[in-house]
Amino acid sequence: MTQGQQGAEQQSSRVWIAADYHFPSTYSCRIPMSSANCASVMPAPGPATVRLALIRVGIELFGVDIVRQELFPILCSVTVRIRPPERVAISQQQIRGYKWSEARHKRETIQESIIVREMAHAAGPMTVFLQIPQDAGHRMHRLLQAVPYWGQSSSLTSCLGVMSTAPLLEECALPLDLLDDTAPLRPYFTCPVTEFHANRLSWEDIAPGGKMPKTSALRCDIYVWPMVTEYRHGTQKLLVRAPFSWKAQ
Amino acid sequence: MSENPQAPFYEMSFNVLAAWQAHSLSTAGSNGSNRVMPRRQLLADKSETDACSGNIAKHHHAALVAAYFAAEGNPLCPACRVGDGRRAAALVDRPEYGNLSFERIVCECALCDTHGFLVTAKNADSETSTGARQKISKETLIDFSYALALPERHAETSQLHTRNGASKEEGQMLMKIPARSGEYALCIRYRCVGIGADTEQWLLYVKDQALREKRHRAVLRALRDTLVSPDGAQVATMLPHLTRLSGAIVVRTGVGRAPLYSALDSNFVTCLQAMADETCQVYPFETIDAFYRLMNIFIATSVPALHPLWKTSQSSNEEGRDDTGATRG
Repeated sequence: MTQGQQGAEQQSSRVWIAADYHFPSTYSCRIPMSSANCASVMPAPGPATVRLALIRVGIELFGVDIVRQELFPILCSVTVRIRPPERVAISQQQIRGYKWSEARHKRETIQESIIVREMAHAAGPMTVFLQIPQDAGHRMHRLLQAVPYWGQSSSLTSCLGVMSTAPLLEECALPLDLLDDTAPLRPYFTCPVTEFHANRLSWEDIAPGGKMPKTSALRCDIYVWPMVTEYRHGTQKLLVRAPFSWKAQ
Repeated sequence: MSENPQAPFYEMSFNVLAAWQAHSLSTAGSNGSNRVMPRRQLLADKSETDACSGNIAKHHHAALVAAYFAAEGNPLCPACRVGDGRRAAALVDRPEYGNLSFERIVCECALCDTHGFLVTAKNADSETSTGARQKISKETLIDFSYALALPERHAETSQLHTRNGASKEEGQMLMKIPARSGEYALCIRYRCVGIGADTEQWLLYVKDQALREKRHRAVLRALRDTLVSPDGAQVATMLPHLTRLSGAIVVRTGVGRAPLYSALDSNFVTCLQAMADETCQVYPFETIDAFYRLMNIFIATSVPALHPLWKTSQSSNEEGRDDTGATRG
């Protein structure tokens, strides 16, 4: 059997599952490379955030060994598509930041500063679509149901249900390379999003427990979100889902 | 609940609607002016509403639970004993904590265990001859959302206050402080199962279940008090009037999540009740005293659940014991 045939067979034995998530309050999924002291946010978590959340939940549900040996290769290779909520309102919030610094003479000082962080509020569920191997369905179903938050732990989320549905690409966030070269990007919300370097990832690159994901394990892609700005006032803005008018490649 | 005096709780969620009158619990600062700004959040229905950050509720809970921990003989590290917000990170330069480990922090401090801590990684410094340090951290077990006022149910009055300057020359100054009133939707998630454990690798360090239960009871007492005695900014002169507390407490008894649903949706209790099953119990309440009674029942009867992975290892350890009780090598 040729490599191409094997690939096609693997692809054909994969199925789509989808999970709807409710955001019970405000949440904040920071755009990569935006300053931590002045953080801009995207309307929903990106694919790397979804994969990392599923790895974390997997360890809780099944233990480290099963995740490392069985689920990690699947979670690295699944196709992830994210349909953002119908409406997302974004406001800037000023919060106090504290930093302890140790001077050369061993005298500790506390520095207070104002940190700006955007917070989002959503109406309607966000949907995460995964294209998974058929035999992994039961475990993936449990993983998707148990996600407690996206990114930072105050970005609470609650799974409303899991179903077998394929995504409509025009309603999902897409990387630039999946778009037609002539497709207009304006007026859609566009930002960098992190994604796994699927080809050269090892468990040690990503494994939770003391180390942050190494930057070489993640890459930054430009994603276009099917969302347009309906309203803007000062630093506040309201994004509304608007399916792409063109076809993805 | 009363029929089951040792109900294991894996996770709890509090989905509440709290009415606070004439408060200024969380503000956005003064921006250099003599007017304190209220915190505002744009909602997805395009309305702008009043908000209180979850940070302030979390600080309040941490202070309350530290007092309960101390009163009930739970261990606290030297940093948490004096309210140092760095928690375990404040211990790294103490000679007696030279070899700081996750296990030691979690076993020796109930506040670091429940509210989390972060000891940052550090490269070796030849100039000061300090060695490299690995990151040690635990995520908080108690998450607070922003409290968001129902768009049609909040109001604000600007109150003129006088304030003395820092010195005699500065004299008296006039300040405009908003007094806000409204009904606020608030969500809290408490992962009871994570007490005494590493919640990234899911390893249990505080193996004495009685110690875990003591910590769990203190967390619940402080959660009860956080909601019935609100605290935050400006409370010295603007302690809020709490006039209503309603909603639902959801308890997950097995592995999984206790669902959260915002009280911004008027059907939130019905939605939560629709998600109930044999491991997900929903306890609605309509009044402040009903909430208080419910919490007291939970404090008296609930225990933090053991993760199934720990039960398996415990039972295999027990099978491995000989008649003297020692574990086989």
